[in-house]
Amino acid sequence: MKKYFLIAKHEFKTNVKRKEFLLMTIGMPLFIFAIVALPVLFIDNIDSEDVKIGYVDATNSFHSQDFVKYSDYESAKKALFEGEITHFFVVPPDYLSTGEINIYSTKKITSTVSGGVENQIKGFLLENLLSGESEELVERVKQPMKSEYFNLNKDKEEKEGIGAFLFPFGFAMLFVLSIFTSSGYLLQGIVEEKENRIIEILLSSVSHRDLLSGKILGLGAVGLAQLLIWLTGALLILSSAPVVAIGILGNLQISTLLGVLAPIYFLLGYLVFASIMAGVGAVSTTLREGQQLAGVFSMSGVIPLFFLQFIIMSPNAIFARLLSYFPLTSPLTMILRLSITEVPVYDIVISLMILIISTIGVIELSSRVFRAGLLMYGKKPTIKELIKYVREV
Amino acid sequence: MNNVEVSHISKSFDGQAVVSDLSFDIRAGEVFGLLGPNGAGKTTVIRMLLDIIRPDSGRIMVLNRSLGEVKDSIGYLPEERGLYRKLTVMDTLMYFGSLKNNQSEERTLALLEKMGLLSYRDKKISELSKGMQQKIQIIAAIIHDPDLIILDEPFTGLDPVNMKLVQDLILELKSEGKTILISTHMMDKVERMCDRIFMIHRGNGVLHGSIGEIKSRYGKNTIFLEFDGELKRMPGVKKVNNAGNYAELILESGVDAQAVLKSIVDEVRVNKFEISAPSLNEIFIEVVEGA
Repeated sequence: MKKYFLIAKHEFKTNVKRKEFLLMTIGMPLFIFAIVALPVLFIDNIDSEDVKIGYVDATNSFHSQDFVKYSDYESAKKALFEGEITHFFVVPPDYLSTGEINIYSTKKITSTVSGGVENQIKGFLLENLLSGESEELVERVKQPMKSEYFNLNKDKEEKEGIGAFLFPFGFAMLFVLSIFTSSGYLLQGIVEEKENRIIEILLSSVSHRDLLSGKILGLGAVGLAQLLIWLTGALLILSSAPVVAIGILGNLQISTLLGVLAPIYFLLGYLVFASIMAGVGAVSTTLREGQQLAGVFSMSGVIPLFFLQFIIMSPNAIFARLLSYFPLTSPLTMILRLSITEVPVYDIVISLMILIISTIGVIELSSRVFRAGLLMYGKKPTIKELIKYVREV
Repeated sequence: MNNVEVSHISKSFDGQAVVSDLSFDIRAGEVFGLLGPNGAGKTTVIRMLLDIIRPDSGRIMVLNRSLGEVKDSIGYLPEERGLYRKLTVMDTLMYFGSLKNNQSEERTLALLEKMGLLSYRDKKISELSKGMQQKIQIIAAIIHDPDLIILDEPFTGLDPVNMKLVQDLILELKSEGKTILISTHMMDKVERMCDRIFMIHRGNGVLHGSIGEIKSRYGKNTIFLEFDGELKRMPGVKKVNNAGNYAELILESGVDAQAVLKSIVDEVRVNKFEISAPSLNEIFIEVVEGA
C-alpha cells in the first residue's frame, strides 16, 4: 500500500473517533432538529388535539357546528374552569361597528397557540358575516391570494421561493463548517506530532510529501464523511417534519451549474485551507500559537457571511465579485451567488482560474514551509527566516 | 563490508556550520558509538543519515543504496520521544510497522513479550508509565526488523533493570547481525558495548576508531583509586576526578605511578590501586575541554 494512503487511513480512523468530531457531527443535526422541527411538531399537536373553543354571542346572529355556544359570559366561564373548553370568546352587541372580540382562556398566551385559535375564530366570523354568499367567495375572502415569485429573463422563467436560497445557504454553512473542522484537525494533529516529536519517527519512515498528502487526503475524507452525515441527518429531519420539508424542498431548484460547481469549489476550498493549516502547523511550536495564526486565515474565509446581506441584495455587484476572486473567500461567495442569481460565465471562469492557480501555489508553498518548519522546535521562525527556508528547500 | 559510508558531509543552518566535513563509516554487524557533547551536531548527523534533512555537500550511502530507497531498512529511536497518547500499544506498533512496509502481528507480540509488556497490548499509551512508553518506543524502532538501527540516547530515563533489558536487547540484535548506531552520553555503556566510536565536537570529527585503539593512544597514564579519607593535591598528578571514595588520577607525562602511590598512602587508606589507560569518560572530557 502506498505510504500516503496509510497515513490517510490512520488520520481518518483516529479523527473520526475523536470526541469533538462525534459531538460536532452528531450534535449539529440534533441541534438543528431541536430548533427547526420541534416547534412544528408542537403546533400540530396543539391544533388538532388540545383546543376546544366556546363562544358567547350577544348579537345572536352567529352559528357554528364546531364551537360550543353559551348563553352568557358566566356559563362559558364555568365551562372553561370545568375543562369542557379551552378557550371562549365573546361577540359584543356592537361587534359590527367595532370589530372587538375578547378571547378568554386559562392557558397563557403563546404565539403559536393564539395564532391557531385566532385563525379558527376568524374563519367562524367570516363564514357568518358572509352567510348566503357562495362558498367560493367565502373561501376567496378567507385567502385572497396565493403568491409565487417568478424570475424573468429573456430565455426562460424560473419559479423562486425562499427554499431556493435557504437550502444552498444551509449547505454553504455546513460546507464552511466542515472545511474548518477538518483543516482545524490537520493543524492540531501536526502541532501535536511536532510537540511530542512523533514527527521524527514519521519522517524517518515517509517523505515530507507523502506525510503532507496523506494528512490532507485523510482529513479531507473526514470532512466529507461529516458532510454526508449532516446531509443524511438533514434528510431524516425533513422526512420527520413534512411541513418544513414541503416549505423548503417544495420550492427547491438547484441548477445543474450549481450542482457541478459546488463540489469543485468545496474541493478547492478545502485544499487551500488544509494546505495553509499544514504550513501554519509546521511553523507553530504550540497549539495555542498555531490556532491564533490559523484564526487569521479562518476569519478571512468567513468574510462572505458577514456581508451576506450585500451579496444577497446585489450578487453581481463589484463587491461580491471581488470576494469571488479572492481565493480564501471565493468558494463560499461563489456558492452563495450561484444559488441566488445567474452569475456571468466570465466571473465563474476568472474565479475558478484564480482559485486553481492559488491552490497549486499554496500547496507548493506549504509543502516547503512544512519541510522547513517541521524540525524546528521551541522557536518560531521569523518571516525573514521563513522566506529563506522556502527558497532553500 | 561497510553498512554506512559518510564522506565529507557538511551542513549549515542560517550560515552557521553545524557539521563540517565529516567522514566516517559503520561496519556491518558492529555496535557503533556516535559521541559528542551537547550541541556537537550528533542529531543533525543522525537526521541526515535518515534523510530527514539533506547535507549541503558530501555523500551518504546506507546499506549500499541511496537514502531515498533505504528508509524501510532503518530503525530509529529519536532522542526526544513521544507517542500518540490515545492509541493503544498494539495499534501504535502496527501503525509504525506499516509505515515501514513491514507489519507483523506475530513479531509485535513477541517483542512485547520480550520487553515484559504483553499484558499491556490493549492499553492506551497514556495509561503507561514513562519507562514503559520508552520501551514501546524502542520496540517501535525495531518492529520492522531493520538492518540498521539508530538509537539516540536509548538509556535515558530507564531504571537499572530496564537499562539492562535494553542493553541485552541491543547485544541480541548485534548477535543477529544487525548494525547498530548508538548516540549517548553514558560513557560506561559505550565502553562496554561499542566496537568502534566516532566523536564529534562543534561539528568536527575529533576521534574515530575502536575503543582499544583510541585508549592506547593515550597510554597507561591513569590511576584508578578506591580509598577512605581525604585526598589532597599530589605532585605529578595533572588532574583528579574525585568522586569521594573513588578517584581517577591522570598523571603528567613521565611521572612514575609508584611515586604517586607513595605520596597517597601517607594521606588516605588505599583499598584498590590500578594503573590503566584513561576511561573513555576522561578522554571525552579531555577532548572537549582541550579543544
